[in-house]
Amino acid sequence: MTPEPMPLSQVGRSIPRLEASAKVTGRAEYVHNLRLPGMLYGKIFRSIVPHGRITQVNVSAARAVEGVHRVVTIEDIRSIIPNPYFGPAFHDQPILADHKVRFAGEPVAVVLAENYRVAEQAAGLITAQYEELQAVDDEVEAVSASVFVHDELKPASTFADLQHLKGQRGTNVALDYRLRHGDAEAAFAAADQVFEHSFRTQPVMHTPLEPFVSVADAANGRLTIHTASQSPSFVRIEIARLLGWAENRVRVKTAHLGGGFGSKLYIKLEALVAALSLLTGRPVKISLTMEEQFFMVTRHACTLKIKSAVDKNGRITARQCKTWWNGGAYADIGPRVTQKAGFTAAGPYDIENVALDSYAVYTNRPPASALRGFGAPQTAWAYETHTDLIAEALNIDKLEFRRRNILRNGRPQATGTVVRDTGLEAILDRLAERLAWDQPFDRGSDKLRRGRGIAIGFKAIVAPTTSAAIVKINADGSCTLYCGTVDMGQGSDTCMTQIAAEVLNIEAESIQVIHPDTDVTPYDMGTLGSRSTFHMGNAVRLAAEDAKSKIAALMAELNLPPGSNVPLVELFRRKYGMQAGNIIGTGSFHPAYAKPDHQTGRSPQVTPFWGVGGTGAEVEVDTETGQFRVTTLVNVVDAGVPINPKLVQQQISGAAIMQFGFTVSENMVFHEGQLTNGSLADYKIPGLLDLPRNFINEWVEARQHDGPFGAKGVGESATIALSPAIGNAIADAVGVRLTELPLTAESVYRAMQAAKGKPLPEQ
Amino acid sequence: MTSFELVEPRSLEETFALLDRDDPAVRPIAGGTALMLMMKSGLFSPLRLISLRRVEPRLAGIAFADGSVRIGAMTTFAALEHSPEIRRHLPVVTRTMRTLANPRVRNVATVGGNLAHADTHLDLPLVWIALGAQAVVVSPRGERIVAVEDLYRGYYETVLHHDELIAALHVPLRPTWRSVYVKVTTRTAHDWPALGIAVSLARDGSIIRDARIAVGAATKKATRLIQAETVLRGAAIDAAAVDDALLARAGDAAIGEISIEADSRGSASYKQHLLRVYLGRAVRAAAAAEPGA
Ligand SMILES: Cc1cc2nc3c(=O)[nH]c(=O)nc-3n(C[C@H](O)[C@H](O)[C@H](O)COP(=O)(O)OP(=O)(O)OC[C@H]3O[C@@H](n4cnc5c(N)ncnc54)[C@H](O)[C@@H]3O)c2cc1C
Repeated sequence: MTPEPMPLSQVGRSIPRLEASAKVTGRAEYVHNLRLPGMLYGKIFRSIVPHGRITQVNVSAARAVEGVHRVVTIEDIRSIIPNPYFGPAFHDQPILADHKVRFAGEPVAVVLAENYRVAEQAAGLITAQYEELQAVDDEVEAVSASVFVHDELKPASTFADLQHLKGQRGTNVALDYRLRHGDAEAAFAAADQVFEHSFRTQPVMHTPLEPFVSVADAANGRLTIHTASQSPSFVRIEIARLLGWAENRVRVKTAHLGGGFGSKLYIKLEALVAALSLLTGRPVKISLTMEEQFFMVTRHACTLKIKSAVDKNGRITARQCKTWWNGGAYADIGPRVTQKAGFTAAGPYDIENVALDSYAVYTNRPPASALRGFGAPQTAWAYETHTDLIAEALNIDKLEFRRRNILRNGRPQATGTVVRDTGLEAILDRLAERLAWDQPFDRGSDKLRRGRGIAIGFKAIVAPTTSAAIVKINADGSCTLYCGTVDMGQGSDTCMTQIAAEVLNIEAESIQVIHPDTDVTPYDMGTLGSRSTFHMGNAVRLAAEDAKSKIAALMAELNLPPGSNVPLVELFRRKYGMQAGNIIGTGSFHPAYAKPDHQTGRSPQVTPFWGVGGTGAEVEVDTETGQFRVTTLVNVVDAGVPINPKLVQQQISGAAIMQFGFTVSENMVFHEGQLTNGSLADYKIPGLLDLPRNFINEWVEARQHDGPFGAKGVGESATIALSPAIGNAIADAVGVRLTELPLTAESVYRAMQAAKGKPLPEQ
Repeated sequence: MTSFELVEPRSLEETFALLDRDDPAVRPIAGGTALMLMMKSGLFSPLRLISLRRVEPRLAGIAFADGSVRIGAMTTFAALEHSPEIRRHLPVVTRTMRTLANPRVRNVATVGGNLAHADTHLDLPLVWIALGAQAVVVSPRGERIVAVEDLYRGYYETVLHHDELIAALHVPLRPTWRSVYVKVTTRTAHDWPALGIAVSLARDGSIIRDARIAVGAATKKATRLIQAETVLRGAAIDAAAVDDALLARAGDAAIGEISIEADSRGSASYKQHLLRVYLGRAVRAAAAAEPGA
């Protein structure tokens, strides 16, 4: 139910971000700037072997450095937290390495010192000895390997679909998700044509420009954690669980975040600083360097196999997908990625028979987790390249082939959940229009060949999750919004005030937002997976409506006619005899959800809404070298009804630039379990000069019936289809298909040479 | 980063007294852009850094005399970039600046630090080699002249002793030569090059009278391509299009005389291929350029 539009509409205004001026004047609050009296600084000593038993850690030289307060290993942590293992899906990650290291870069010990420099210097004096174990690196090989990253699987109790894995030994598979829709086997047997392809994606990093930072302050039987976290409520729950404390003894506060993209979710440094502060009785801060971020969390490398049956009319009748997710040494939220991206792995197509298998696999690499798209960009890389290959083989126009098979509103997706309120078809239309798809295309010259490509994809939203918000009307009539959504640059503060302001019929800019502080702001599952505008937005809307109805009740109590223009401050004066009191509106939102059946993976209500994005690309390829430039990039997402059009556009362009890096340049290169390019000099994120000349970012409106004022989340949508669109454009230009990301000049050149029968030697 | 001593001597004599011929942990610091990165990553832990910022004017300034220009070691990239005389006499240097680092780095990085750092990925040393520049090296033992192409011993290694400083660079002015620098990147625009090539040609009508070519990034050190130059020297060219066969021979010669290294920017075989392609493109561009370019 959407309330009637207010006369002065706050929704739909492109108001500038509320925090913009604080940020550009250097006044915005970040945890990095926080210094508490008596605070100790921690520096982590890390493993240099990917897999091994720790036989000795020698900390005496570090301890002897002047200014070092203490050197801590897992034994010390255990005196505070007897079972020091954490994680959102599995309790598999030790706060510091526990007699075993599972990836090169894993924290083994921490030096605490009076200042950061001393801690860093002393950490450099620690030595460790390992009895090296064979390491598993590849996600497919790890499934059948005889080396196991963990002796036993330890799922957290929160996820019902992981419980069957409890206590399993002798496996590296942390989740085996399956979905069966129709009868794929029978359809393949009866098919006119069958197509099968394999794809791979590389490990990449979130690269928030603000590296991880957390401060813990244990005092008076309580623990306060200041942390750059996307999920303060989860941090509180997990820290309370580790300590065996009531949640109300733990306080988690955030400030502005300098980016997150999924990296700062669940627990990262928080358990470590909590234990260190409790150990020492002093505040403890750990802030990572940019280089250390590579060892915290990454995006899954994947191997994807996809097979389709197609009939004479160019309709896909069956699809089978197998996806292996390289989860690294600790599961983090990887099993959720495996499942969510698993069930959309067949793409946004209307296919009667679908069989999907998706495996979360442990390896001896840094942990992998959610990154802007929750696995959807990896699966789309496979299914949208595959889609082009099929259309090519059938000699059907690539846009037409997609239109013929696209999932339309009102039709069930592979899980059985009926798709509604999506802009899938409208996005295809818009891409066609922007690329002038029906017009002749300039194919360039022999030396500089041009091509174009399109792709479309979708994702489900993490479910079930809940958000709560409080709207407080102060005695002067001003409004304060308490909301646990973390503004990490996406502009959520601004968006939430617009929603509250729309309901209350006041100016959005006049509302103050209280940043996440678990002592003050109510529960929110986390700022992740494009969920905040929809979930928290609805909670804020409900809280504002609650406040509004309480204002109406107060008017009635004061015998004022409904809609009276008596100012709020006057209402409070009349009620209390002076400017006093307040009105508190609360709102809590929890969309409907039905748990998928474990055997079939099916559910009538698997996601609260769908995130949809399409990309069109034009490229120029230097045929002598394989170097290419994307000259036009069109990103179109389904934005519901935008609350703040400018912010929506920035989300689209930001997501696209990020995925552009994951497509053409970013790649964490491992050699025998060691990361070989762990710095921004060697791991290349795109800069402004790399952006296409024509960089077009747009949305189609597809009103989300139960979104706040018709809105839905858009933080990830533009990441989904970008890589295959560029790959498809390269193929269109030079006739070679790359199946592995990133798409580099060298990989294009190699493929061209191989196609000519003159392969470039490996070296 | 560990603690260290930072000193700012006022004269060369004072500087020499502070330098230590035997201790690599005592080093001069100019702009600090390279050194600080090495210190942050723990590759270098100095005991003492001797800042050259306040040393006498011998290390500063751009001066033209007798058909050459003397560029003081402490000249910043920004000063080179914005110098009208450099633009007039050595336009290839001005053009190269645009592809190099960013304004913040160019404001502090120096010509001397860039030469002494000996990172094969640096652009400017290749340009200096192609231009035939020489470094003026000073020490308590006096002064010696080292051609830039002879400055490098290996990966991050120069022929300088720990107590030697680069005081200046001498670049001959050759108004009839034409020069081109090509920075080849394979990932992002601001990446280190996968290959750098500088070409300087002297043309007599349709004859290449002389050629100087330097490559870097793909090799362990900035290297002059003597054999490729020999192929080109004396060759007849058509101003409109340099002959493919000639360029192919120059490419073969180049590949034969150097060893190419693989890294995250490309395999050795791909970089070899890039060298062939871009050597040809650079020679063509230089041949087609105006004299003095
Ligand atoms: C972000 C960034 C991007 C960059 N991009 C590029 C690029 O695109 N292309 C490129 O070519 N370079 C690039 N650079 C590198 C830059 O050119 C070098 O860092 C710079 O030239 C070094 O000069 P400096 O004065 O800062 O040297 P310093 O860091 O001060 O010193 C470097 C070395 O030289 C020694 N030294 C300094 N002066 C002297 C002297 N007079 N005599 C003897 N030894 C001396 C020092 O002891 C040290 O070993 C980049 C650097 C950064 C930080």
